[in-house]
Amino acid sequence: MSEPIADFAVIGSTPLARLLAGRLAGSHGRSVLYMGESQSSYRLPRGLDLSVAPITRPESWAMLRQGIGETVKLIGRIAGRGAWSHVDPLFFAGDPATAEALGHMRHMALGFGIAAEPAAPTMPVAHRSGIVLRDALRLNRPIIEPALDQWLEREGVRRLAPEGVTIAEDGSAVLQAGGARFEARQAILADHDAILAHLPPAQWPVLLRRHPASCILTTPARPLPTPVMLEIQSGITLLQQNEGGIAAIGLQDMASFSGRIQLLLGRDRQVEQAGQTSFSALATSDGAPALGRVGTVGADVVAGMGMAGAFLAPALARWLCGEASPFEADWFGARLVSRAPHGPSVAEYAPHISGTAP
Amino acid sequence: MRPQLNRLDKDQAGNFSGSFIDRSRPLRFRLDGRLVSGFAGDSVLSAVMASGIDTLGTYRDVPIALGPSANPAIRLAGRADEPQHALPMARTPAIAGAEFVTCGIRRSNPLARLFLPGRTLGLELDEPHALDRPWRRLAGTPSASSDLVVIGGGVAGMEAALTAARAGLSVTLVEASAQLGGHSGLFGTQEGEDNPETDMARRRDAIAANDAITALTHSHAYAVRPGLVRIHRVEVKEGKPQGSVLDLPARHIVLATGALERLPIFAGNRLPGVIGTSDAHALASRYGVWPGEAAILATGSNVAYRLAILASDAGIAIGRILDSRPNPSSRFIAFSRAYGMVQTPGAAPRSAGLIKAGGTLSVHTDQAGTEPMLTGRLLVCGGWQPDLTLWHLAGGRSRWHGRHHRIEAEGGLDGIALAGSAAGYFTRRGCIESGQDAVNALLGRPRAPVQDPVIDPIHESPDAPATITEPPDDAAPAFLDSGREFLQRPSPPPRSWTSIFRRRPPRNGLVALSEAPQPLAIGDVAAGVDLGLIPPDAAGIVAQERVALVPLLPPTATIPPPEDEAVAEPVPSYLEGRFGGDAVLVRIVPAEPRRLETGALIYRNSDAANPLQAVGVVLRPDGDAALALMHRHISRAGLPVSVRDQGRAIAARIESPEN
Repeated sequence: MSEPIADFAVIGSTPLARLLAGRLAGSHGRSVLYMGESQSSYRLPRGLDLSVAPITRPESWAMLRQGIGETVKLIGRIAGRGAWSHVDPLFFAGDPATAEALGHMRHMALGFGIAAEPAAPTMPVAHRSGIVLRDALRLNRPIIEPALDQWLEREGVRRLAPEGVTIAEDGSAVLQAGGARFEARQAILADHDAILAHLPPAQWPVLLRRHPASCILTTPARPLPTPVMLEIQSGITLLQQNEGGIAAIGLQDMASFSGRIQLLLGRDRQVEQAGQTSFSALATSDGAPALGRVGTVGADVVAGMGMAGAFLAPALARWLCGEASPFEADWFGARLVSRAPHGPSVAEYAPHISGTAP
Repeated sequence: MRPQLNRLDKDQAGNFSGSFIDRSRPLRFRLDGRLVSGFAGDSVLSAVMASGIDTLGTYRDVPIALGPSANPAIRLAGRADEPQHALPMARTPAIAGAEFVTCGIRRSNPLARLFLPGRTLGLELDEPHALDRPWRRLAGTPSASSDLVVIGGGVAGMEAALTAARAGLSVTLVEASAQLGGHSGLFGTQEGEDNPETDMARRRDAIAANDAITALTHSHAYAVRPGLVRIHRVEVKEGKPQGSVLDLPARHIVLATGALERLPIFAGNRLPGVIGTSDAHALASRYGVWPGEAAILATGSNVAYRLAILASDAGIAIGRILDSRPNPSSRFIAFSRAYGMVQTPGAAPRSAGLIKAGGTLSVHTDQAGTEPMLTGRLLVCGGWQPDLTLWHLAGGRSRWHGRHHRIEAEGGLDGIALAGSAAGYFTRRGCIESGQDAVNALLGRPRAPVQDPVIDPIHESPDAPATITEPPDDAAPAFLDSGREFLQRPSPPPRSWTSIFRRRPPRNGLVALSEAPQPLAIGDVAAGVDLGLIPPDAAGIVAQERVALVPLLPPTATIPPPEDEAVAEPVPSYLEGRFGGDAVLVRIVPAEPRRLETGALIYRNSDAANPLQAVGVVLRPDGDAALALMHRHISRAGLPVSVRDQGRAIAARIESPEN
């Protein structure tokens, strides 16, 4: 039995993917199929959602500042006050070039009204410099994920757990679920796992690179200087969990990562591993987001949005429906996944980006 | 001196007289200053428990049971609190005259231990590292290589070792307890099988007589990868116990780690007096330790009935057997009826509570209208989970088996094979044959199908899933497993603001298993599936993801040095195009002596502060000036500009374009 053809099939597990699906259906009246697992309550984290990010371009900061209010209001309505916590993330660096990038990030944050201070000399252990961004919001995935799933249902999003997904060159999708066939005019691969799993290799954009990535959870250790720390030259994120453990996430294979984490946390922390996982992640060759249709006609991808991507979901939904403001349209338009390597630069700070095409 | 309150009388104990101990050789030692008596062959733990100490300490003000599954590290008094001196209480032999202290106890008042109640070790278990095993942080000492390392000295491991030795291999057999044998004694016999004790003894003798097999008892394997096993071993040298961490290289590895007993989930399931049937059987059969003279059983597995029969033979009064299955049948059930034991099918504990400090338990069941039962001991059995901890550590995969209600291994690993209960076999015959099969598989020899003759369910009801009952208000915590990690059933937080006005806080702070800061034992993961917290499809990956990994670097691997320092580019890529495609570098001089910061934004005038309107940015200091990147059309020498630095507008002028 065939179902009516939906406008979009959104595939992805992150809050960004869920918010995008819900907005497309609820605010823009599109019919939406959604496929994404709810894993944050039992799997190790592979990313975080933070209202600040190590970005250097003013238009990106402006987009983020616009998106925060709208997204927080939406999430508060969906999941309540426990959906986020206030944190003072610390970005730190160990070499001169990265320290310069930190300076640009700090002044950009100040320019957009975020209190950003140089870190006290003792804060980033064994590192030369750091900045603390005050009063950022960190979304609590285990709390908001089930609430977002209920919200999707209320918004009329049809949730599927398909046995098979086929994405055509024109970007349309066919999903087989429970013996039924579901079609959508346009597939949106809304996070890295979705892109890695479902984007046909023949359509792979040159901009995207696959990286080995790892997460290690430690047993409770001496608290970090702040609950969120990001070593920006390596991209390693350290998260102090509510129960005292430290989750470390980074774009390195497990063998390298484990040693690096021991060095970062220092010998004076009594650290044992309480969990570990390896996975694949994506990075763009210029460190900037990559959005829109692959090859200009294929599936939509959402890649390289970094830790602040969830806060851009409402704007992304508007852009995908052709209802974006001129500023939003310019920002997304400059960051198309099909952008020319030698076109106008939108590069962000992105050291050691290499990786391989799949 | 503490008398041996909980040691069964030898003449009445039957199978529970204590096969590991020599009652003709009494001894005494001190633990935390308290004089403890025991016998040669006791472990420190068994002697302590025989002396009536049955409490580890408190977790969130609730007392927690001491036992083989959860006990602290100790060290000899006078030795520094260093990892190399730490010893496991359960694997350390009791030594006459020794003085031990427990490691890592955080006491606010050093005199507090003088006033500890007699039953407790007084650990503060809220301290995350209270039950740490400090030797896990030590590097291993390379040991002699062998062809095969077998981990686990039960019937499957012993059979694997003997099979390999017969094939001409050198074998190292690693066993945690003081003697080879394992837990077959609890599971009884099936038709055509020897008595389990006879069976174990025969294999033990064969191994002792075989020069190709080196048996390392008191040794626990806790890290493994293809080609290498890391163990912690306790030996007595010059009358003193010493621990060492050894790396055992081997071409082949057999994991015969057995099965772990699941803990039924009810409030108070780790109170002193509550114990799993496997731990209770091990303490009784090996050391003759059995607290109290009466007990109640709560089970969903036939094995518990056999324990009840053995206990009854040793003079213990079994007041009642609660069975979560509505119509269980088993030869053991028939025997226990013949013993006159009262059975309540379709019932499980809802909560247990301590009604006096001396240790009487009050057990409430999930059956409406029933009065609470009083007992000194509650024996619980929530079924059996293959111990796949080392399998997961080595990178092995697993999946949830819905009919068996447990996680089972799948796939294979190079150079590593599972055997026995760990491989999923149910019967002694299956375990023994799988020990042979594991060796054949590793050596690439012809393999025969493993016979695992499970009795027809009509005669022997299969195990039920571990029971889960909703805790009543203000009850003691319900834990997911009986091990050293105190993982409580997570409680979702309240959603609304009004919840802050309610009297009762959430039962515990954990909102999701992913937030738990401790490794998840495989029993925790299985409980997570039963509780609906982990989808069955994800059980295997979660169990592998949350195993407590000790990294074993391959011989060629080293910890990578920090990344080479990146050299600052004149104009970093993230500034490209920011001020037009033809932006220029200029020297900019502040009107007041100061150092302009990297990243400070440059505006045409002091009123502007929106970064989108900036016309340039400071790149880096350059003597008493700074190097900046600016729009070409406003980069004329002498042009006044404003630099927004540290919240202030600083007047400056362009000195000269840099080119």
